[in-house]
Amino acid sequence: MARFEFSERALDTLALQESLTDRACGGYASFEGWVRDFNDGRQVARLEYEAYALLAVKEGERIVAEAIERFGVTHARCVHRIGNLPLGELAVWVGVSSPHRGEAFAACRYIIDEVKHRVPIWKKEHYLDGDSGWVNCERCAAAPATTAAGTHDHHDHAHEHHDHDETLAPTAIGVHAPGLPQPDYSRQQVLPEVGAAGQARLRAARVLVIGAGGLGTPVLSYLAGAGIGTLGVIDGDVLDASNLHRQTLYALADVGRPKALLAAERLRALNPEVDVRAYVQRADAEQLPALAAGFDVLVDCSDNFRTRFLVNDVAVRLGKPAVIASVYQYEGQLQVLTPSSACLRCIWPDGAHDGLVGNCAEAGVLGPVAGVLGSMQALEVLKLLLGLDSPAIGAVVLVDLRTLETRRLRAPRAAGCDAGACMRLPSATAVAMELEVELDLSAEGTIADWTMVDLRELTETVASPLALAHLHLPLAQLLADPARLPPGPRYLLVCARGQRSRGAAEALRAAGRDGIWSLRGGLAAQPRR
Amino acid sequence: MTSIEVQYYALLREQAGVSRERVDTPATTPAALYEELQARYGFTLARAQLRVAINGEFADWNAVLPLGAEVVFIPPVAGG
Repeated sequence: MARFEFSERALDTLALQESLTDRACGGYASFEGWVRDFNDGRQVARLEYEAYALLAVKEGERIVAEAIERFGVTHARCVHRIGNLPLGELAVWVGVSSPHRGEAFAACRYIIDEVKHRVPIWKKEHYLDGDSGWVNCERCAAAPATTAAGTHDHHDHAHEHHDHDETLAPTAIGVHAPGLPQPDYSRQQVLPEVGAAGQARLRAARVLVIGAGGLGTPVLSYLAGAGIGTLGVIDGDVLDASNLHRQTLYALADVGRPKALLAAERLRALNPEVDVRAYVQRADAEQLPALAAGFDVLVDCSDNFRTRFLVNDVAVRLGKPAVIASVYQYEGQLQVLTPSSACLRCIWPDGAHDGLVGNCAEAGVLGPVAGVLGSMQALEVLKLLLGLDSPAIGAVVLVDLRTLETRRLRAPRAAGCDAGACMRLPSATAVAMELEVELDLSAEGTIADWTMVDLRELTETVASPLALAHLHLPLAQLLADPARLPPGPRYLLVCARGQRSRGAAEALRAAGRDGIWSLRGGLAAQPRR
Repeated sequence: MTSIEVQYYALLREQAGVSRERVDTPATTPAALYEELQARYGFTLARAQLRVAINGEFADWNAVLPLGAEVVFIPPVAGG
């Protein structure tokens, strides 16, 4: 039985459900997405779906396998229609069976969200007025309320769904019709180290680039071209004419516009398959940890020590790899950190202070110097994602582009840092690793990025049930066996008043777990509707 | 006197006016060597703001300089 497949014929949900039955399973959850008659202000008459079957099936199977592993469910399956679909027709079906309902709901939601996000499926809408248009479903990372069997798939397009992504203008969805040129990764895929499997890894990857300047623009261009699935870009600056000698994504006419938005626009044009998320803000200790938790690799392309050390500290705390570079006149420094290598604080135990040595504005830089170092960063990211070893891990690579000399200096971990945690990270006040988040759970899309865990006792949950998809794991059980939450998703712990969840998040963080937050004020603080 | 191959980066390269040179020195530690060179070139960066590498590996300021060592002085750089 294929766990993910496409079907040209109408789906038989009873037969599908039947295929998941198991005596060991006491819970079954399913999701159905239906063809709706209205989208983006237009009356829709019917839909047409197309997929890159070869890539799509592999990615779909990977998603279902991830869900089974993450949530520990027994069976899971997803079928997506292709071809012409009339109104009301079932377009996508997800089913999950497991011993208990909590995991079944969570896995079901995970599968539909990831399928919409990652699987290359194209949708053509035929409108009542005779017109038609292609819509890339990938951009429509679904945020509909989940997920009892038979819930409608709202599939609403007039927005970007990422709740933390408010700065992103609601631009047109990547219209990407067959007949127009398609992204083609053949020149990299022919490399034995890449191949179809490597390409799928790049597609599944989420990379956060901090800074869209001289280093960031080549990093972003190459990563978008390589087909990285999700690219986040943080930059709080607007474009200045003095940036253009080294920031090759931009044009003179763009001066005065926010660089993060400009970069996102150019990258979407370069490769509509990439989900680009723009954050017009400076990377700060308040927000970066929560934001970075949703990405696999951090790339520091900032122009100041404060941000560079913040990225370092967040990467170390979250156990994520980071690729760090900086430039000065004709030279640059490159360093790749992984959870087992030296970090910036092994090398610079006292930190470094802005103003001590110049940045590009003060000391000057030739444009291609930033280009070379940024290109090296992009390459290091690809190597990390493809599982290729790099001499830049656990070392600082010094590049002098005037003499064309490259030096690699091995950087041992500082004594006391080999237990998996850096001994020199500043105290929690310097890097506020916020334990609590304030969320309105009833707002559409709020919990799309979270896996919710209800820590209340059974009697409480019966008296006041939680309508949203979640895992149920009373506090004592969680603390007795934290492995019940497998690493991977971002967990939102909830309880009645936010005290148990805060304590649990604190305990888990102290035990070295990342990606765990507590809902501030608990369910009692939620607005009543 | 030991003969040491010294490399400078960033601001140090600018202030020394060369990116590498051979130095004959009585210094037996990188700390003493930096002090000597600082007096010669007027380096503005204090030692605490730098790192030193000996023969391709970051080293302690009070390490013993081996015969014919290759020493690199590195300030952090910020630009991006």
